[in-house]
Amino acid sequence: MTTTPWVRRNKALSAALLSAALVLTGCGSDDKDTGSTAAPAATTRTITAGNGTVTIPADPQRVVALGNTSQPFIDIGGKPIGVTELSASELDPIPADQKATYEAATRLGADTAEIDLEKLAGLKPDLILVQVPDAEFEGIKKQLETIAPTVFWGLDTEWKAFADALAEAGNLTDSLSTQKVAFQGKVAKIKETYPQIIADTKFVAVDRWDNSDPGTFVITDFGCIEIAADDIGLNSPKAAAGADPLGWADLPFEQIAGLSKYDAILYPVDAAGQPKKAFATVTESNTWKALPTVTSGRALGVFCPGNNSYGPVLQYLDSLDTALASLAAKE
Amino acid sequence: MTTLALRRDGPGTITAPGPRRRLLGLVAALLALLALLVLSVMIGSTSIAPSAVWDALFHPAADIDQFAIRDYRLPRTVVGLIVGVALGLSGALIQALTRNPLADPGILGVHAGASFAVTVAVGVLGVSDIQGYMWFAFAGALIVTLLVLALGSTRQGQSPVVMVLAGVSVGAVLGGAREALQLTNPAAFDAMRSWNAGSIVGRPLDLVWPILPFLAVALVLALAVSGSLNAMALGDDLAAAQGVRLARTRVLAIIALTLLAGGATALAGPIGFVGLMVPHVARWIVGPHQRWIFAYSILLAPSLLLASDILGRVVMRPGEIPVGIVTAFVGAPVLIVLVRRKKASGL
Repeated sequence: MTTTPWVRRNKALSAALLSAALVLTGCGSDDKDTGSTAAPAATTRTITAGNGTVTIPADPQRVVALGNTSQPFIDIGGKPIGVTELSASELDPIPADQKATYEAATRLGADTAEIDLEKLAGLKPDLILVQVPDAEFEGIKKQLETIAPTVFWGLDTEWKAFADALAEAGNLTDSLSTQKVAFQGKVAKIKETYPQIIADTKFVAVDRWDNSDPGTFVITDFGCIEIAADDIGLNSPKAAAGADPLGWADLPFEQIAGLSKYDAILYPVDAAGQPKKAFATVTESNTWKALPTVTSGRALGVFCPGNNSYGPVLQYLDSLDTALASLAAKE
Repeated sequence: MTTLALRRDGPGTITAPGPRRRLLGLVAALLALLALLVLSVMIGSTSIAPSAVWDALFHPAADIDQFAIRDYRLPRTVVGLIVGVALGLSGALIQALTRNPLADPGILGVHAGASFAVTVAVGVLGVSDIQGYMWFAFAGALIVTLLVLALGSTRQGQSPVVMVLAGVSVGAVLGGAREALQLTNPAAFDAMRSWNAGSIVGRPLDLVWPILPFLAVALVLALAVSGSLNAMALGDDLAAAQGVRLARTRVLAIIALTLLAGGATALAGPIGFVGLMVPHVARWIVGPHQRWIFAYSILLAPSLLLASDILGRVVMRPGEIPVGIVTAFVGAPVLIVLVRRKKASGL
């Protein structure tokens, strides 16, 4: 289901509103252009994204960031005028200045399916950035493109490529470069500090989602552990090529015992280091407490605030660094 | 699956087996259930040695495999047994009460009431775990069935036809309201995913004990009205002539089936086909004798549920398929075969 009642309710209205918005923004541009001596060709550039080649302003000033672009765009230094609402768990770990930027932006809906198009058009954006499921984008593509140049990325976009593309679209490549340097430095430091552990340890990353079935957990191979595996080289289970990700399969708690075949377990904790709420039922279980890996202190809580932009990933790497240090102390 | 077509004819034309054969069949069903109870503890998505299972039950120690048996498999087996008994008996009751061989406990709005209440609990009140929303499910099932009972009561007393129509109508309204709530709150829909599918995983025994007294009362009520329901199968006039108090029997039967189906739904979510199919099979075996149908349903329904659950644990290793999905896959083809045998299970 990609079209919500809110969107449906506004479909009839949207054409009129969008036309009005176009007239307003279009007229504004004409007036401005008339009085400007700058060459029009210098004010735009093209960018290639999931919805093809899009002509966008060279230095966009009124950016709306929808779906999964909201937090990453702010993370690379963007100041969006409109965003999709972030959940409390997404908002909690972000730095205060980024939180202030988010608070200053107009909230356009709890998720992309509930975007208030009237409010969005009223913001008169010069660029709209969107990352949502493909089918969801198809449902609002025409409305968005009528309001402003729209750049879309599918959910399968690799996170570093996504950060690059987002920075390019928002003309924020300088601030992204700083984050990339920090990331590369952190990765290099971890690899240099724990080469033996990385080479010899069989890790497994476990998790439990908010919507997981009662009495189940997952062995995950995507998200932050994917970064640890791909960039740092941690040895952890992966789905076979072409198969569904491991993290999609709910495993009954009786399979917690099977984790004893790994040397170290990475489990999710919050910023305070406590097991993530959804995962607490696992750490409270007798089976978990009896695991040799747990009793020997080789179950390591790792904080993963996000895996879609450099800021949260750097926080994850800091947490992973601490976890690996505790493992090294036991060697 | 439910139907509004109520049979008005008398007992089916099948030749029922004698008491000795019925008793032998009952013993066979009991043995099958016992075997499935053992298998349910023995077989899981991980391999645990039979000796570890034995030790877990009779020589408990702080062993990791023993924890898996005691904390997960044993409660799961107990929940499967209780939910199966409740669904089977409630199905037998609703089919006897409505004289409709294709009625299931959901026909009086039990599932709709439970589902709506859970949606409100999860989507509006923010209840996030089964310990919390189980009671909403139970209360929702009870309230909605009482509402249906009130709507189905006419000046002439309770009419099965009117009650079924009221149940279907209330169910449709609540189903629409539930979907509307879930559409405006996708997170609630997501959180209810497993409950909607019907599952007996992750229900600790602490969750079961508070429901048991309700189910015990319902069991007593069901057995108490079984004789009267037998007479009512011949028609209201003949039953009344035999001294059956129709209104009281119906009310007691509805209370019993609501407690049974409501309790089962609260524990495991809406599991279809068990309450519909098992009494059907029981009637096929023993003919139109309510006490026997009840006894067979009490044994066959948990057998079906446990067998389906075991199947769901092993066919998609290391993951599992919720039992509600497996019973639907098993139940649908069997039901199709059975309903084509028109004489086999008439009421």
